[in-house]
Amino acid sequence: MARESTRSKLAGRLTHPISRPLAIAYRWVDERMGITDLAYKGLYEAVPRRGAWAYTLGSATLIIIALQIVTGMFLLWSYVPSTTEAWESLNYLAHHDEFGAIVRGMHLWGAYVLLLVIGLHMVRTFVSGSYKKPRELNWITGVMLFLLVLALGITGAMLPWDQAAYWTTVVTTHVLSYVPGLGHWLQEIWRGGNQVGPVTLTRTFAIHIWLLPALLVPLIVVHLYLLRRHGEHGSWVNYRNDPGESERERAERVLRAEPPYPAVPSDPGYAVPDDLDEFFPSQVGKDAIISFLLVLVIFVMAVVVGSPLEAPANPASLTYVPTPEWFFLPLDQLLVQFPQAWMIPVGVFVIPGLASTLLILVPFLDRSPDREPWKRPQLMVPALFTLLFLIFEALLAVNRLFNL
Amino acid sequence: MGTRISRRRFMVLATNLAGAGITLLIAAPIVGEVLQPIFTRRSHPWVRVGDISQVPVGLPTAYVVQMPTTQAWKVPPVARIVYVVKLNVGNQLQVLSLSNVCTHMQCDVHWDIDLQQFLCPCHGGFYSITGTNVGGPPPKPLFRYQHKLAGETLYVRDRLTEA
Amino acid sequence: MPLTLALAPHLVPVGISTGVATALVGLLMLAHIQFAAFQQGGALVMTLFDFLGMVRKDERQTRFARGMVKTMAVVFSIGAALAIFAMMILFTGLWSHFWVKLLRIMFWPLVIEAGAFALEIMALYTLYVGWDRLGRVRPLRIGLGLVLAVDLFVQMLAINFVASYMLTPRPAFNLPLILLNPTLIPLEVHRLIGNVAFTGALIAIVAGWRVLRARTPQQRSYADWMGAIGAVIAIAFTALQPLVGWEYAKEIQLHAYASWYDMMLGGLSVAFLFQMFLLGLILTAGIFFFWRRVRSSGIRSPTLALCAVLSMGAWLLGATPSSLAWSYEQVFAANANVPIWNGGLLIPFGAMIPWKLTALVAFTFVSITAVTVFLREVSRGHLRWGEARRSQALALITMGVAVSLIMALMGYIREDARGPFLITNHMLINQQQNFVPPATTGPAQGGAATGANLILGGE
Repeated sequence: MARESTRSKLAGRLTHPISRPLAIAYRWVDERMGITDLAYKGLYEAVPRRGAWAYTLGSATLIIIALQIVTGMFLLWSYVPSTTEAWESLNYLAHHDEFGAIVRGMHLWGAYVLLLVIGLHMVRTFVSGSYKKPRELNWITGVMLFLLVLALGITGAMLPWDQAAYWTTVVTTHVLSYVPGLGHWLQEIWRGGNQVGPVTLTRTFAIHIWLLPALLVPLIVVHLYLLRRHGEHGSWVNYRNDPGESERERAERVLRAEPPYPAVPSDPGYAVPDDLDEFFPSQVGKDAIISFLLVLVIFVMAVVVGSPLEAPANPASLTYVPTPEWFFLPLDQLLVQFPQAWMIPVGVFVIPGLASTLLILVPFLDRSPDREPWKRPQLMVPALFTLLFLIFEALLAVNRLFNL
Repeated sequence: MGTRISRRRFMVLATNLAGAGITLLIAAPIVGEVLQPIFTRRSHPWVRVGDISQVPVGLPTAYVVQMPTTQAWKVPPVARIVYVVKLNVGNQLQVLSLSNVCTHMQCDVHWDIDLQQFLCPCHGGFYSITGTNVGGPPPKPLFRYQHKLAGETLYVRDRLTEA
Repeated sequence: MPLTLALAPHLVPVGISTGVATALVGLLMLAHIQFAAFQQGGALVMTLFDFLGMVRKDERQTRFARGMVKTMAVVFSIGAALAIFAMMILFTGLWSHFWVKLLRIMFWPLVIEAGAFALEIMALYTLYVGWDRLGRVRPLRIGLGLVLAVDLFVQMLAINFVASYMLTPRPAFNLPLILLNPTLIPLEVHRLIGNVAFTGALIAIVAGWRVLRARTPQQRSYADWMGAIGAVIAIAFTALQPLVGWEYAKEIQLHAYASWYDMMLGGLSVAFLFQMFLLGLILTAGIFFFWRRVRSSGIRSPTLALCAVLSMGAWLLGATPSSLAWSYEQVFAANANVPIWNGGLLIPFGAMIPWKLTALVAFTFVSITAVTVFLREVSRGHLRWGEARRSQALALITMGVAVSLIMALMGYIREDARGPFLITNHMLINQQQNFVPPATTGPAQGGAATGANLILGGE
């Protein structure tokens, strides 16, 4: 069978390194660890052929998260999480450690690009209806990952302890105090007291480097496991099923697809793409090209633009205008639009909370078998308006802050 | 009851109980550590603001005050702003010590000469000269520090949490 | 001229009273804005439908795009004549000082405006005359439509530099800051959305009228479909307006407080209340159309019925006056700053925060829900075009007329809110001369910079 020949070819390729001793060593390890099997499982999977460039965004996200973890690790070689020294350590980095400054720049621009790429990945998944049965949990873990990355973004913005970081910390921790009933306590827990101070920084630091990544990494594993379990869905262009297709041809196509696409072949929710391709090298190659370009962008931005460091935190400032990170501009704008009393929690919690909940529930809001976006106005229309709304909010926030 | 439980059932029970025990033993001190700030008692010492004889009537004047922080370990005092406001109410001279912390999201408000109002740049909150709300999102008036005058020297106490 | 001014400060330079001159310019500009708004919205809608017609191979959508281009060409001819008349006669004649000053400050935006106008003429007439010939290379025609839409966007941006500057000018002369003044982006976004909604409303009016007059089933079917398109565009885009408008008002509050006060609590507050009434009317009429139109095809939609009820509730809440007086000053003067049930003039349920804001948020959510449910019914294919009834056609016309009215009223409020100024704090309306503000009445020590009154003290 074709599959067996691919497997032996792979084994040959892997066990034919440049020298004999290495080959012996490889075989020794392979016998005990089953590397070839693992590599085979990882590399040879059937994926949809059409629109493959659009499906590179997921792996790009993975690569950039890895970049974030690595650059973050090495930022710890210089950074001190203390109100008196955090700013000093980063200032040192900026002026006396050129490569350290690039590492910090890549961590910052990595975060920005990551948010954009995750956003695009979500839009792609949403438009192509890839969240439908049996892939509901792929979508849900994906949304949770997105929210975690947002949380990582906001906690990361608090760490430099310059003016921007300090006021981000003040506003973000104070937002918690609007939780009905528990608000005051929650705020004190995060701040480590009633005011923003040294404990606030150590706690935020711990959340940023351990707590959130400790949730992020297992969720990524689950997300990838689910992807492999159900196979990549692709989009409607992959499912122009010919109604005249015979059962035998269909079964053959199903057989070529390694992941269990068709639990019930007659169930449209379990359909297999018309045209399949091998994950390696067709898809991996495209993934690698896109990821390389994105990392290149991050690197260039880190070198050319770098990462800003404002004046050290100063709680007694009459002229400083705090501005949030760009990805929080729409939320900041909601704070302006929902003034006073009980409307503040509505703007701060109810609307973002409702939006997040609806985002998580997307697979259950649209359970029709239709995949084409124009056949699903019940989701496409509200989503389009939400997107428009977010863009307008960000624009208006930029305008408001620019003109203060 | 003298019901005998099988060995197998006992081991299942033991696994559950031991697992719960491990979780509890690890979690209890962690929860305590996380919640500790709630139970910390804080002192609120009087802090000297300065000589306020120069403050003109009707013009809020900002004083930078070094507030001692009581958070965790010893750290240098934090600079805070106290707006000293002198007003003529009837024939009486009234002195107010306003916090410049906006009650909406705790940004720093400043006195805007043109508007004759306190203005918060974060989300556009407006307060009158006595700190009452005039417009924008802030839900409460500006906090008034507890203060005392010794001659012309003003002292305040930072009890922001009890606004 | 200075002599005239010295003798009669209430006269504009050529000797007509300021009131008459203001009314002339106002009427002309309001008409001009309606023409221009339709151009911009029309270009976007036309291009979208030409594109959809190509992708979905739908002859009806192409026919619709063709109709839009014809209408736009006719409307443009009238609108351009009005604009040129306004510029030549009114500005240079009645408002010469203002016009000269504006030309000095806004030279580049007005050059861009003129360039965009020239490009608009070329693109629009090429589309109008060569529609069928261009149709042989369909992407080219769509591309030209896109060029027209972008060009009109630039044109509006250029004129919004001027309009927003007049309301919230920056104190110092710095062109980038003057152009990107606080109300530019809110105005731009507000107008862009509004223009598309307005175009939808006009389509709805025409469609409603055609439904009433249709003789053949074909005519009726096309008119019915067109009405649905118009209603969806009008309601969906109007639904976005409350929060953008809120933000616009917020910027005015921060940067032109007197105008804001006039609009919200002063003499213009009644006009603004009528604005809320019109908004409620638009959305309720539109949602009523969706609900009944779906029913005409035999589909019961409890969600749409609920939307209609909620919209009426929000309408009632939004249009409740906040007091029984014409302005808040009257309430204050009458010393009646307490609720009516305590013998005052205030109606607490008419307060902006939280009640009117609640109504606005409700409008947004209810309208988008209604549009979504309606489109879902359309995409299921249960709606047969041509089954629209008389009441639905009337709802479409009501909605469209209300949108047109709200556009005019909005323009009137924006222009009138500047109060005695042509350019806020810079030029008075009746003298058209640089305005020298009286000496600041505040405390003598007040510095201009906000941090100037900082005194370092304490230990």
